[in-house]
Amino acid sequence: MKASTAAQYRTPGPLDTAAGSFPGTRRRTRISRHSAQFAYLLNAPSILVIVLLVGYPICYSVWVSLHRYDLRRPRIFRFVWLQNYIDVLIDPDFWTALRITVLFTLIAVVVIVSVGLAVALLLNRQFPGRGFVRTVILIPWAIPPVVNGLMWQWIYDPKIGALNALLRWLGIIDHYQGWLAVPTYALGGLIVAHTWNEFALAVILFLGALQRVPAELYDAGRVDGCRSWQLFLHITLPWLAQALLIVLILETMLAVRAFDIIYVLTAGGPGTSTTTLTWATYLTTFENLDFGHGSAYAYIVTLITLGLSVIYFRILYGRGEFEA
Amino acid sequence: MTAARTQSRFHTILLMGGGLLVTIYVLAPFSWLVLTSFMRENDVLSVPPKIGWDSFTISNYLTFIHASGIEAVVGSRAAENTLPGIFNSLVAATATAALNVVLGTLAGYSFARLRFPGRMPLLLLYLGSRMVPGIALIVPLYLTIRTFHLLDNLAALAITYLTLTLPFTIWLMKNYFQGIARSLEEAALVDGCTWAQILWKILIPVAAPGLAATAIFAFMTAWNDYLFAVILTTTMAAKTAPVVVAGFVTDVTTARTLMATGGVLAVLPPLLLALMCQRMIVQGLTSGGVKG
Repeated sequence: MKASTAAQYRTPGPLDTAAGSFPGTRRRTRISRHSAQFAYLLNAPSILVIVLLVGYPICYSVWVSLHRYDLRRPRIFRFVWLQNYIDVLIDPDFWTALRITVLFTLIAVVVIVSVGLAVALLLNRQFPGRGFVRTVILIPWAIPPVVNGLMWQWIYDPKIGALNALLRWLGIIDHYQGWLAVPTYALGGLIVAHTWNEFALAVILFLGALQRVPAELYDAGRVDGCRSWQLFLHITLPWLAQALLIVLILETMLAVRAFDIIYVLTAGGPGTSTTTLTWATYLTTFENLDFGHGSAYAYIVTLITLGLSVIYFRILYGRGEFEA
Repeated sequence: MTAARTQSRFHTILLMGGGLLVTIYVLAPFSWLVLTSFMRENDVLSVPPKIGWDSFTISNYLTFIHASGIEAVVGSRAAENTLPGIFNSLVAATATAALNVVLGTLAGYSFARLRFPGRMPLLLLYLGSRMVPGIALIVPLYLTIRTFHLLDNLAALAITYLTLTLPFTIWLMKNYFQGIARSLEEAALVDGCTWAQILWKILIPVAAPGLAATAIFAFMTAWNDYLFAVILTTTMAAKTAPVVVAGFVTDVTTARTLMATGGVLAVLPPLLLALMCQRMIVQGLTSGGVKG
């Protein structure tokens, strides 16, 4: 406080002209010490929540992941260095689960982004009934994944399911199929159910970004003789870049973490055909009660999602889109 | 001129066709669930299912109110728990939303208006914390909550939901506050208002739509959760709607119509909220989450 007061009454030197061109710079440095304390006071409850409920559990699970800790042999709690990680990484089941996770996430995200973008472009145009469709779009978003799973389980039912009835009526199949009993169909069915539940969020985000495209851009493009696909390619798509990244981040995280829908619909089966990393973590921890290996699994999933988000953030940051 | 008009009419029809397709895609699966909830078990199980006015019934819904009532169906015991489960979900989700609004406003304000050392790392810490999957947090959370004898406690559940919602809330509120011009605050500062008065009388009223949107998001996230609820609750003192519904679905003996009815009931509160606050949700998400 004293130092800055002294600085204010100092005789003007050559450097001060530069400082003078940024009015308020000096005042800000004077109040910064107060505002720092104040800022941390405002953040205290949130920091407390994050440290206690995220920070502590992460540290705990790292600790457990370095130990042999199996609830079926509860008296053994032995430090084993990275043995759990090695066990997981040399286990072919891990690589199968990783492959299924990548497949599930990749297809789900591609489908959600393309369907979401197509629907958003449609709803950005004027036509009778648009308001109704915009309202209807919110339904999948509001449905909890557990209920979504119940709904699709009922649709895929091998004996009386609506999908069988529909495909038979259309003449595509001769006899009813147990959709969730065939590995490829089960993964496909899971992806259909998941994307139905999550595509609405993509539509909302894309639509919001589309509505902000300045009309002048299109006018200028038309004056220059652009065709409509050129307008889309050179104006609409670049404008959507940020919304696209946000959708990619959100939907990737949702797909990697998908749990409820798997629990209700396929329980990881048949065989291991829908066992993603998240499901494998759940099985190891809560079915086998092997907390050591379960924590190693959980931590590998965490590292993968953190890695992906760092990549996404770098892209946002590099583009100057991430503003703090 | 006429050519242009016929072309635009053709376009309109094309767009309406697209709109119809989207509507069918969204409504067909959901209406099948709703339809099932109004049918009799025997009609549902016959191939092809009998759909008609004479098979319409509300007895499935009555079973949920009065379990041993009119028709005792397999699974009506589980059905009994659905309404209490919905009540628990309402309590937990509302508490989560309220906590989010308070904590999110304070933290969001600090990021929007104050320069302080560690601002950027703190923001990244919040956002990064949301990247940790719930499955990695749940075991230590379970052990901690058990130590404090807070299992089966709705307040504890609501607080753990903050890990899912708070980072996004802070991010949205920061963007919202940053979108508000500073001129009003500067005038108020000159008039000798304290920061609390500025926050309470100027910023919060202006940011009200953003606050409402974040509250709705937090509510939805808490309502949708299954993983935390199934592990942190054991009795009907705190079991939430998704836990009760998942309990039915995985039980193969439960009547199909009852499952469907339970599903519809569990969807109803968030669905009504989404449809009533449609405008708020869309605006809140697009102006806070994405800048144009």
